[in-house]
This record gives sequence, structure tokens and C-alpha cells, in this order.
Amino acid sequence: MLDDWSTAQNDIMRIYRSKRDAARGTVQSKYNILGFISSGTYGRVYKAQSLDQEGKIHAIKKFKPDKEGDVITYTGISQSAIREIALNREINHDNVVALKEVILEDKSIYMVFDYAEHDFLQVIHHHSQTLRHPISTPVLKSLIYQLINGLIYLHSCHILHRDLKPANILITSKGVVKIGDLGLARLIYEPLQPLFIGDKVVVTIWYRAPELLLGAKHYNKAIDCWAVGCVIAELASLRPIFKGEEAKLDSKKNVPFQRDQLLRIFEVLGTPDEAGWPSIVDMPEYNSMKRLDRYSDRLQEWCQTRIRSATGYDLLRQLFLYDPKTRLTAKAALQHPWFKEDPLPTWNAFESAGAHQIPPHRRITQDDAPSMMPVPAQNNSHPHLLGGGGIAGPGAPFAQAQTSKPGSSNSFASVSGGGGGVYVGQQPAGSTGRGQGARKKPRHN
Amino acid sequence: MATDFWATPLDDLQSQRWIVDRSTLRQARADDLLYVGDPEYLEFLNIYFANVISKLGKKLQLRQRVIATATVFFRRFYLKSSYCETDPFLVISACCYLAAKAEESPVHIKNVITESRSIFSHHYGVKNFPSDNTKLAEMEFYLVDDLECDLVIFHPYRTLLALCKKEDTSGVQSLIAEAEAGEVGAGVAEDDGPRYWGLDGAKLELSEGALQTAWFIINDTYRSELCLLYPPHLIAIAAIYLTFILHGPTQTTIAPLLPSSNSHSDSSPTPSSEDTSQPRRSSRQSHPPNKKPHQDPISFLAGLNVSMQHIATIAQEIISLYSLWDRYREDSSPDASSSSSSKNQHVHRHSPFHSPSKRSATSAGLLSSTGTPEKDDVFGDSGSESDMTCTPAFLTKLLLRMREQRIADLAHPASGKPVAVNKMLERTQAAG
Repeated sequence: MLDDWSTAQNDIMRIYRSKRDAARGTVQSKYNILGFISSGTYGRVYKAQSLDQEGKIHAIKKFKPDKEGDVITYTGISQSAIREIALNREINHDNVVALKEVILEDKSIYMVFDYAEHDFLQVIHHHSQTLRHPISTPVLKSLIYQLINGLIYLHSCHILHRDLKPANILITSKGVVKIGDLGLARLIYEPLQPLFIGDKVVVTIWYRAPELLLGAKHYNKAIDCWAVGCVIAELASLRPIFKGEEAKLDSKKNVPFQRDQLLRIFEVLGTPDEAGWPSIVDMPEYNSMKRLDRYSDRLQEWCQTRIRSATGYDLLRQLFLYDPKTRLTAKAALQHPWFKEDPLPTWNAFESAGAHQIPPHRRITQDDAPSMMPVPAQNNSHPHLLGGGGIAGPGAPFAQAQTSKPGSSNSFASVSGGGGGVYVGQQPAGSTGRGQGARKKPRHN
Repeated sequence: MATDFWATPLDDLQSQRWIVDRSTLRQARADDLLYVGDPEYLEFLNIYFANVISKLGKKLQLRQRVIATATVFFRRFYLKSSYCETDPFLVISACCYLAAKAEESPVHIKNVITESRSIFSHHYGVKNFPSDNTKLAEMEFYLVDDLECDLVIFHPYRTLLALCKKEDTSGVQSLIAEAEAGEVGAGVAEDDGPRYWGLDGAKLELSEGALQTAWFIINDTYRSELCLLYPPHLIAIAAIYLTFILHGPTQTTIAPLLPSSNSHSDSSPTPSSEDTSQPRRSSRQSHPPNKKPHQDPISFLAGLNVSMQHIATIAQEIISLYSLWDRYREDSSPDASSSSSSKNQHVHRHSPFHSPSKRSATSAGLLSSTGTPEKDDVFGDSGSESDMTCTPAFLTKLLLRMREQRIADLAHPASGKPVAVNKMLERTQAAG
């Protein structure tokens, strides 16, 4: 009799699925796809406009569907997608990207975020290539201040970002910084197993903290703070401060010694020693490190021409402390005197900026937008993480928009009857300030 | 409101989203009630499903917290669906597969399939579980959707560890690490964030045995629907409260008041060699009696800013669960070859109230080999209800009957609901 199970099971699950499919709103029924923004190993990002009355602009991240030959099939949701979905559902902060909804449709996962017009990498490129002039101090300081403010929030939620870099830090057209791409982030509250077990390699090489480069098995929030230091230096100098060559994983997926990256760091900060970092002797790669040429500390010299502020130098110095235990925390960084001296940071990072200082709008392409079909990943000159965990956070200029997100936001209704907050309209209407009107609605709405 | 005091930012959102009231729960089971016969079977099914999840989870070497997360996923899923209109076994597999990822200790999908097939077939007589990865992956997809992407689950364990520490100085970590190797952080990422748990870090000192008891009580709550009704921190406090009643110096004086202890001794035909002066006991509790904690536990609990009425209600629910569980006979596996492994499961079950005599009761031949309950008329009168026991084999058959009936009704809506119940009754009688 129990052999009937599978027949009954198939029938019954077909009924279940068709019920669910019928109840689900499709991406196309809710959004008008305006164009394609970027792609990476995770999938593709599209710019889209909501078809509701507000017509807000969104970035829709479509995870690459799994394929067997040409047939799209279910193979299980990737760890990276699970993380990004799970964490984004829990967080709500002005300086962190806001997830509006997740649509699971036709074997694909679509994450709908609010749109952001710019990112740190755009700002850097705009200044280095178009303006050929450093980022002004008020803009620089405001960007950093908001970045740290968002990081404090993530850390207070026990979330490590693990892939902070200019391309993942977005800015709305209103000058609000939004930390994006939680694809590599994870909760560190009472982890069931050490963090390194899940992902052999974390953080894009140029932003990777020395303890990671030396093979530390245990690491903590300090790795994000190191990355913030790298981002500050990059904004100030318009090029990556530690631009090393990544040694690739070997065929057995062993993590190699990152000699070049460590040398790039040592050239500026000097070779670390036990005095400044007592536990360095316990690092797995300590002996390999000892064989490298020795350098002395030149950070102050580096800062003289680039930061031009004694307190600014001090902030960087403390974020670049080798010992993770003494490295400045996000919370302490926000209290740093640099943020209290003129010019003060502003909540619109572009407040002081002339129109020419703001980078141009994010480029979108039209060709393949309507189909939302996957195409090969585009090249990105900035490096990204193609690590052992198989998780990559390419330099996708991943879009988020300014929003003062209402409390429990999210368009997901709650079964507890608490009322799924309908996506309430507290957001500023056209969240994108300049020029967007001209380029949106290429098709009918 | 109590939750304000306790809530972390994360807890706060969550408890609002997925805590439901009893009428919502009843509504969720409305369709199943049409086919289940005795509503009490639904309570037994709560135990049954939790045991299946636990069994699969252990086979997959998932930690207790992952199993707990899978169980919460399962309960939440069935707030929106009926047992009779889905395949609970496929849902269970998907819950374990997803929970492992959500708790950052993923297992390969092929592995989940293999172990599911083996356990479901050997222990529950469920053959023909799909061997195809895509079926499970598809279920995961719909599961995530039905869970509304809420994949971060908070458990009472966290509150327990935040509120209590072991009496001696070696700290709770070592104890729990023993039971749950590595559950507590493995020295990773010492938490420097703000504490939301209150009392400025003041902790209640518990003996090792008491702390373990509280931990095991929390494990057991997943066999009920408590995780849908109350936020995790209240369940934790109720578990601590029960620990003081059921464990330690106060135990013997309060024990006779517990309904479960009476039903237990009544229903146990073979007076076991175990010391019966304690109503239930942890299988690990062989160490000497605990010293009295330095603090006054009553005032500690009273000092927590929570509704003691809620705590009392939850404690009562947990006690009812134990009394129901007492009538649940896990051992009757339809497959004789599996009995040794199920015995193992039994011994390792982390229930503080697990009574070995229960096992003797089942082996004393109370169960028919077909695994049907002792009561002949399972859908009929409610006369000697307290004597009725329930077995996994019976519940597996019940589930299948419910589903077949549901499918038949969906195909022929004219047949009407009451007919369905009668038909099922006929079948049962014919089969019996």
C-alpha cells in the first residue's frame, strides 16, 4: 500500500506547485526591465521600473539559473544566494542596501533592490580619468563616514561583510552611501564551525587583511575594518593602495601563499613584527613571510601627499594596524577626530560637490534586456573574488537607491496577520535626481 | 512589552513575522482535520515529524541547532499548507537541506537524497522517495518562497546561554561543547557588540546537570508547535523554570503535582529498575545531586522583564507534550532490521524526561506488528483515550490515507467531506 506513495506524492506536489505558481506575481508583471547593468559569476543585474503607481527604479539581481545542457533545471540554491537572501531579510539601515523583495519564478531567483546611481569605483574613475583631480575632502570624508556608519550596523548585527571594496559600495543620486553585495557576508554569532571551513578565500585580494593573507583560521570583524582602510586610501589616491598580484589556487584548490600582495602591504606599512603583533608567530604562513625582504614603515610619507591631514593619517594608521586585536573597530573609527575637524561629513556626500564632480549615471545597455537571458560575464578591470568557495563578488556596480525604508518594510505579508507591510511610499518619489527622467521609460510603462 | 526588553534588532522583526495565535494554527490544520479522524493524531504528528527531522538530521551529522532550524522551517511551512495536500517527507528533506545552508554548514544535495531515501524507507516504510536531485531542489525553491525568505532563525538555546552559566568557573562552554561539539563559537569572533539580553550580563548559576536539563527541555519543545506560538526567549525561560521544578532539590516535592508523572507511572506496565522517585530523568544524569545555586532562582526569574503568565502557560504546554509523548511508541519500526539503529537513536535522545521504562513498555508486546494503535476503533469513541498510544508506522499510514482521500475529494468534489471520513473508516476497518 505504501508503494502508492510516489504516485500520490507526484500528484499532490503538482497540485501544491500549481497553486503556488498561480498565486505568485511574476517579475514581468511587476517590473518593466529598462536595461542591463552588469553581470558576474552570480548572475546578472538589471535596471527596472516598478509598474505600480510610484514607478520607482530598482536593480534586479537575477541569480544565474542552473543548466543542464540547454535545459534550465533545479540544482539547489547556492550558498551565496542563501546568504544574501537570508541576511538582507534581516537588515534595515540607511547605509546598507535595501532589499525590496525576492521573486522566485521559473527556476530563477530575482532579488529586487532599490536602485543606486553610483558607486565608489565610479567616483574614483571619474576623478582619475575625467577630472584628473583628487576627490575633494568633504566628499571623501562624507563617503567614508557613511561607509563606516553602515559597517557599524552590520557588525552590530553580527554580520561580517567579507567583500568590502569600492565596487560594492554604492551611492544614491542623493549622495547616500549604501553598502551592497552581501553575497559573501555571513552571520558570525555562535558559528557552528570555524569561518574558514565554509570559504577558503574571502575578500578581494587588494582589500584582504594581513591575517587572512597569512592563513589565519580564525578571523573577525577586523578584516572588514582593514578593507575600509584600503578603501579610504584608494579614494584618497585614486588607485588601490596595495595592488598585488593574486597567486591562484592550485589544481587541488590549495590556497597559495600570497607573496606579492603581502609585499605590496609591507612596502607601505613595513614588515610586521612580534612587537606590534604578538600572535603573528602563530600564523600558518609565518615562516613563508619571514623569508620575504624586509621593509620599513612609510605610511606617513605615503599620506603626506595624499591625505594631507594629520588626523586623517592617524585614522588610516589605526585601521592598518597589523594586529587584528588592536586594529580600530568600526565603532571607534566613527569617533575618530578626523570626522570632527573641518570639513565635517554630510549626509548628502555630494552636498559640497559641483555637478561636474558627480560621476555620470550608471550605463545600461538595451540589447538583451527584454529577455533577461544570461550572457557570458563581462570583463571588469577591477579584480574580484573567484575563491575556493566558488563564490564571487565581481565588481558589479550593483544598484541601490536612496530610501528611507519604513520599519518592517518588505512587501512580504506576514502569516502572523501582522500585515505584510505593503511597500509604503515613504521613499522620495523619483529617487534619482538628475536626468533620469530623460532616460527612463524607453518603452511604454 | 517584554519583547522590547529582550529583542535584538533581529529577533524583533522575526518574532513579529512568524509568531501566530492558536486560531491561526487551527486554521492551518483545518483541511487535515477533515481527514485525520481523531484530532489528537495531529498532536502525535507533531512529535512524529520532529522525530523524522531529527533522525534525518543526525544521519546527515547536522548539529542540534541546524535540526532545530529545520524543524522551525517545517512548522512554518505547514502554516500555509496541509499535510494531506503535500508530501511531508519531501518537505522534511528540503527543510534539512535548506537549514544546513542557512546555518552555514551545508551538506551535498546528493547526500540528503541518499540518507532521506534510506531513513524514510527503513524506518517509516516510505518507499520511492525521489532519487532525483531536481525534485528536492525544486522543493527547496518552493520552500524558500513559502518561508518568505526568512531563513535566519533564533532559538531558545541562545537565551539559555545568555542567561545561565554553569555553577563552577569552567563556564557553560565546556558543557555544551560536550553535548554539541562546537556549538558555542569555537573561539571565533568574540562578540564585542552590544548585549540585548538584559540584566547587565548578570547570569543565573546552574549546576551542570540543571543546565543540561534545560538544554534538553528546549530540544524537546521542537516536538510541539511552541516555536510558532511563543518567541524563543520565552521558551528558554520556561525551560529554565521547568528545570527548577523537575531537577534539583525542589524536584521531589513538586514532582507529584505533575500530571505527566502520574500518567507515566500508570501507563508503565513494567516497573523498570530505574529509580522511579524522579518523574523523568536525563539519561546522563548520574552525577551527584546538585548544590543549591548561590542565587535565588525565583527572584532571578522574577527579575526578568517577561510575563510570568506566559512562562507558566508555556511550561504547562511542555508538560502536556511530555504526557502525550509518553504515549508515543517510537520503537515500532515496520522494518525489523532497523530496530537496532532506532534503539541507538533512543538512547541518544536528549530528553531529560526520557524514561527507559518506555522502551520496556513497547517491547513488552503492547504493539501489534502492523503498528496500529492498541485501540481498535481509532476513529471512534474517546473512551479510554489516555490509554491509547500511537506509533510512527500508524501515523505513516494515516498520512497516506489522508492524502489519498484528499486527492479523491479534489477529483470528485461532490463526494463531500463527511463521506471522506467514513470511507477512511471503512478502509481502516477492512485493513484491520
